[in-house]
Amino acid sequence: MAFRIHRPETVDEASRLELDLDGDCAFIAGGTDLVVQMSRGQRAPAHLIDISRLPGMSAISEDGSVVEIGALVTHRELELGKGLPQGTDAIRDAARQVGGVQVRSIATLGGNIANASPAADLVPVLMVLDAELELRGPHGRCVPISDFIEGPRRTTRQPGELITAIRFRAPGNGSATSFFKAGRRKAMEIAVVNVAASVTLGADGACRSVRIALGSVAPKTLRAIGAEKALAGSPLSVAAIREAAQLAADCCAPITDIRASAEYRRLLVKSLVERALVRCSEQVEQSAMSGISASADNPADLLERSH
Amino acid sequence: MKRLVSMTVNGEEIELAIPPYRTLLDVLRNEGRLTGTKKGCDVGDCGACTVIMDGSPVNSCLVLGIEAEGATIETIEGQHAGPDLPHLIQEKFMDHGGAQCGFCTPGIIMMTKALLKENPNPTESEVRFAIAGNICRCTGYAKIVDAVLAAAEDLRKGRTL
Repeated sequence: MAFRIHRPETVDEASRLELDLDGDCAFIAGGTDLVVQMSRGQRAPAHLIDISRLPGMSAISEDGSVVEIGALVTHRELELGKGLPQGTDAIRDAARQVGGVQVRSIATLGGNIANASPAADLVPVLMVLDAELELRGPHGRCVPISDFIEGPRRTTRQPGELITAIRFRAPGNGSATSFFKAGRRKAMEIAVVNVAASVTLGADGACRSVRIALGSVAPKTLRAIGAEKALAGSPLSVAAIREAAQLAADCCAPITDIRASAEYRRLLVKSLVERALVRCSEQVEQSAMSGISASADNPADLLERSH
Repeated sequence: MKRLVSMTVNGEEIELAIPPYRTLLDVLRNEGRLTGTKKGCDVGDCGACTVIMDGSPVNSCLVLGIEAEGATIETIEGQHAGPDLPHLIQEKFMDHGGAQCGFCTPGIIMMTKALLKENPNPTESEVRFAIAGNICRCTGYAKIVDAVLAAAEDLRKGRTL
């Protein structure tokens, strides 16, 4: 696997390089997927374009009400959560359940998105945050993450385009997010099902906005639109949560594979959506009482309870 | 075509000519002649190749050697409490029987060092969470966890990493 390595100093240079090399090349940031694919002989690009040290893509910042995460921010940084505002617990909870510390220390958020795995853990979280991606290249553009990922390993990225940042509106008062993942073991696991939810409750306790995203149950991460609609305007009662969870389970299209059956995945969707909504509701309640963000339980314990 | 790459390994600055496709793990073991870092799965699942790169634990099989240009790398060979003295963590692994076949041990010791630097007072569940990326097929982990907790206790009594 001989290849040439290129080290552009700017995003524009990286973009031009990919266009000039016309095909037989790959961007490398953390490399946790690409290096494995190359070691296994599944990919053998003639050129690698090292984007791991490009400037301006490694920070988490908040400008007014908009949060921006640079594409080179690692899962470990997201897990530690420095710079992430209140109401974004789901980011931390999802990040800390990816691989081991050794992988999280180098695997980047941009890479997790660009890889477009149907089981990606941060993608459902970014979907419920209604995040958009900043793509730079020949024609810069911003695209909602849900329009970027088309299917397994397929995105709408055009040649010469790089994901440079991920942006979303900071969750306001009365808002919370949550993330749950089920696997066959507690760590170092690809999600059998993952679920993220975001909820904004009004002063009257009714849902002003709800988003639910389901991973690993379709060719790409799905929004459970039917469940969201059923909850809109109503309080998060036990009955409403149960109904929404059932609607979510009905709308997904899981497959049976070596890790789980379709039937089991559907049961997991129902159970995890319930939990995700309950967690959001608890968090909103706690932050309303204490005025500070609620700290999440250890997700490992939650996973234990799910088995 | 080889490329010249310089990095600091266990405090010593070295320059090596390496093929671009060679992983940091293979660079350390082949060009660097440091075979303490073990090659288990070679795809980032087992943690046997854990080294500390610029302060963070990483799977050296997932890092290309050329990506370590300018980096500071710590491997098991650099861990000791003085000439011919085992490192505190190594000592505790011996005291508690935390190594059996020993293949995963260098990686777990490096992961432990990274953990204790960040958190010198971990709970048992924090230890287990931290070493989740290190697979041991012999011990069942109980004695490894004991060893890590014992090292943490000595750290709090004033010993150093």
